[in-house]
Amino acid sequence: MTSRFSRRRALGLLAAPLAVPLFSHAASAATLEEIKKRGYMIVATEDDFRPFEFVKDGKPTGFDNELLEDLRKFAPFQVKQEIIPWTGLLAGVSTGKYDVALTAAIITKERKKSLDFTSPIADATHYYVKRKGDTSITSIKDLSGKTCGVQAGSALLGRLPELETMLKKDGGKLGKVVEYTSYPEAYQDLALKRVDYVVNTIINIKALVTEKPTVFEIGQAVSGKSYPAWAVAKDNKELLAFLNEFIAKEKANGRFAELQKKWFNESFPDLPVTFEPEF
Amino acid sequence: MTPGDIAAFAQGAVVTVALSVAGILIGLPVGLGLALIRWGKVPVIGRLVALYVSILRATPLVTLLLLLFFALPNVGVPIDPYSAAILALSMNTSAFNCEIWRAALLAFPKDQLEAAMSVGMSAGLRFRRIVLPQIARASLPALVNEMSLLIKVTPVLAVVGVVDITRAAVRIGAETYEPLPPFLVAIALYAPIIFGLVSLQRFIERRHAAAEAA
Repeated sequence: MTSRFSRRRALGLLAAPLAVPLFSHAASAATLEEIKKRGYMIVATEDDFRPFEFVKDGKPTGFDNELLEDLRKFAPFQVKQEIIPWTGLLAGVSTGKYDVALTAAIITKERKKSLDFTSPIADATHYYVKRKGDTSITSIKDLSGKTCGVQAGSALLGRLPELETMLKKDGGKLGKVVEYTSYPEAYQDLALKRVDYVVNTIINIKALVTEKPTVFEIGQAVSGKSYPAWAVAKDNKELLAFLNEFIAKEKANGRFAELQKKWFNESFPDLPVTFEPEF
Repeated sequence: MTPGDIAAFAQGAVVTVALSVAGILIGLPVGLGLALIRWGKVPVIGRLVALYVSILRATPLVTLLLLLFFALPNVGVPIDPYSAAILALSMNTSAFNCEIWRAALLAFPKDQLEAAMSVGMSAGLRFRRIVLPQIARASLPALVNEMSLLIKVTPVLAVVGVVDITRAAVRIGAETYEPLPPFLVAIALYAPIIFGLVSLQRFIERRHAAAEAA
């Protein structure tokens, strides 16, 4: 009896010092001054988020990676890049492991509790995509009761209630929602008819439909305004200002529009400089 | 499949094999050491080892890895993705190896040790000449089993940015929007790796059998 008890206590004691730093991370994010002093900044990008960031022939490419090249020239310090899956990315920024999440992270209320966002880098209004030739879906109200695919932990999942409200207006309801670790699997399941539609941002869906026009077809908008941006740890104000300055410069010299045109097939000239999310 | 994709798969295969080999080479002797400490009923340390094994067997590898990767820098230990991956792998597998070695040690006939003692063999010599050859043979199938499991959990290491065979496949699938072909290639790559490991086991077992017959 006593041996069991003491073992459990010892277990807790051992785990405690490991757990504590996880909750006291706010202090560990490097400020711009600290970055300048140590001479480098670490940015984290994703590896399977076409057209923003993906890997082609072993080399990172996409909208954010091209901007990163410009950022390297702009920054008075070295910029190191870590390419990691989405799962640990935002956590890595809020714990100070990486200084910037240089990825299209949609600005949400929930995320703003632990992160600060730069100026939006694109439009992320949510659209649905369906199988090409699926005549059972022609408008939003046809989505009622149908199975929806979406990425787990994504901003898109958080805004499905908006679609639910739209459906309820016509007496419909949101069907079963299937969550995936990343979008490529969701698209695959859409093609395999395991889900009836997938919700993602307009840019990602357009890229998909351009690549596979015989398999997928773009639907309509299922959300209000939504924007993706880069993220830094909460209250890392100088670093945020530095990144916003870079974005403003890229917008002013036309490079931003040029890259948007290249990767998204359209430019978004009316992006706000700051965005306060409702959701 | 472009030459770039093939290069990505080749690099992924090197990473998978390198991480697995590192995990096995560290986890095997550490597991044996831990088992010996428990077998020898070393005061205090024996209890700590039992605790270590309990914690690690209860912790999913991916959780352990994220904890090491994000928590260690907070306590002043900078760690890169590959070191964190090897550390997590070896910690995890050492706990399971410890129990495999310990099972063989518990089943080891005590009278052999007593016989060795009676002819004046030292503890070290007894272990090297009498215990180790027999427990190694008894543990081999279970150890190889654990090793093959270790190779197949390496894809979870991708969560901190390690690019193994499976992550290489995911990346290619995300670029082409065609996930199936790269996954088939990935499976085709794991098979020979596991086959190589099992062949090594067969070779060792056959050599033992031959030595015994001689």
